[in-house]
Amino acid sequence: MHEIRTGFGDILKRQLELAERNYEFLADRGVRAINVMGAIGSGKTALIIQMAQRLQGKGVRVGAIAGDVAGDDDYRRFQAAGLPSTVINTGDDCHLDAHRVGHALEEFPLSAVDVLFIENVGNLVCPADFPLGTDQDLVVISVTEGEDMVRKHPKMFAQTDVIAINKVDLAEIVGVDPQRIVEDYRKVNPHGRAVLTDAKSGRGVEELLSALGF
Amino acid sequence: MHEYSLAHSLLEGLLEHLAAHPAEGRIVKVHVRQGELLTLSQEALREAWRILSEGTPVAGSELVIEKVPVKVRCPNCAYQGKVQYLAEEGWHYTIPVLSCPKCEGRVEVVEGKDLAITALSVEDQEPTPTENPPS
Repeated sequence: MHEIRTGFGDILKRQLELAERNYEFLADRGVRAINVMGAIGSGKTALIIQMAQRLQGKGVRVGAIAGDVAGDDDYRRFQAAGLPSTVINTGDDCHLDAHRVGHALEEFPLSAVDVLFIENVGNLVCPADFPLGTDQDLVVISVTEGEDMVRKHPKMFAQTDVIAINKVDLAEIVGVDPQRIVEDYRKVNPHGRAVLTDAKSGRGVEELLSALGF
Repeated sequence: MHEYSLAHSLLEGLLEHLAAHPAEGRIVKVHVRQGELLTLSQEALREAWRILSEGTPVAGSELVIEKVPVKVRCPNCAYQGKVQYLAEEGWHYTIPVLSCPKCEGRVEVVEGKDLAITALSVEDQEPTPTENPPS
């Protein structure tokens, strides 16, 4: 038996290169992009629309990309909210990737937006491995998913600097203490900011925008 | 379940390499390094490898995966190296904390998110018997 050192390149490097290309493409057009990740039904779409409406009130033009395995439901929600938007259906992939996003960006009316929210496929695991070339990441979870979301998905939270804990209006009903989620998050990410939100009423949305630097 | 697409990319790269530099003997092990921040299932990756490599020159080879620890760089105090881990009871998991172990500042990850083939273990071929052995 003998060994051959291959010295192969990192296969994820290609993803990184595509992400960097997206980043430059957006930067050249003066667009700031945010990758919004989180489980199915955590309230990503509703929070994006809430943030968009507040930003528009400040004169910031906002667009959105809806990433879903199938269907155009979120896309239609963005359209109904008056946001320039498009949809990426991944087929069976459990996450968006820089290649798909790159193609969507080529078609997107970027000259009409200053901020672009890219809503990832509902999934708390795989999107963490695929950079899209956005300026920032945001993870949305909701109290209805349980008190142990951070403990169950530590890597995602360790790598994300802003999280929204949504549906806090339901915390008491489902018997979840949002502060426990915040404490777990602080342990895995001492520099992160967790914001309690209720996308239905708009509670916490201003604070979330400020955590994102708006 | 992105293990299949990752296994496919690994295999594609390896087959390209072997087309240009054929191995002298059967490849029994393919050594892979996996950054520990990657959220992929090693079992699923090995299974994907087993299925996808069928009918290729590396069919039947074993994927040996080595997890590589996170390395960071601190822009604040210039620390470079490993991070501390959170290993509390109840987490059942050791989690790299992406914070500077020296000054507790924010850090940049320099290693720990990659996936690459590093080496191949090749079975040595039996020396071919010569037809007319010297008497």
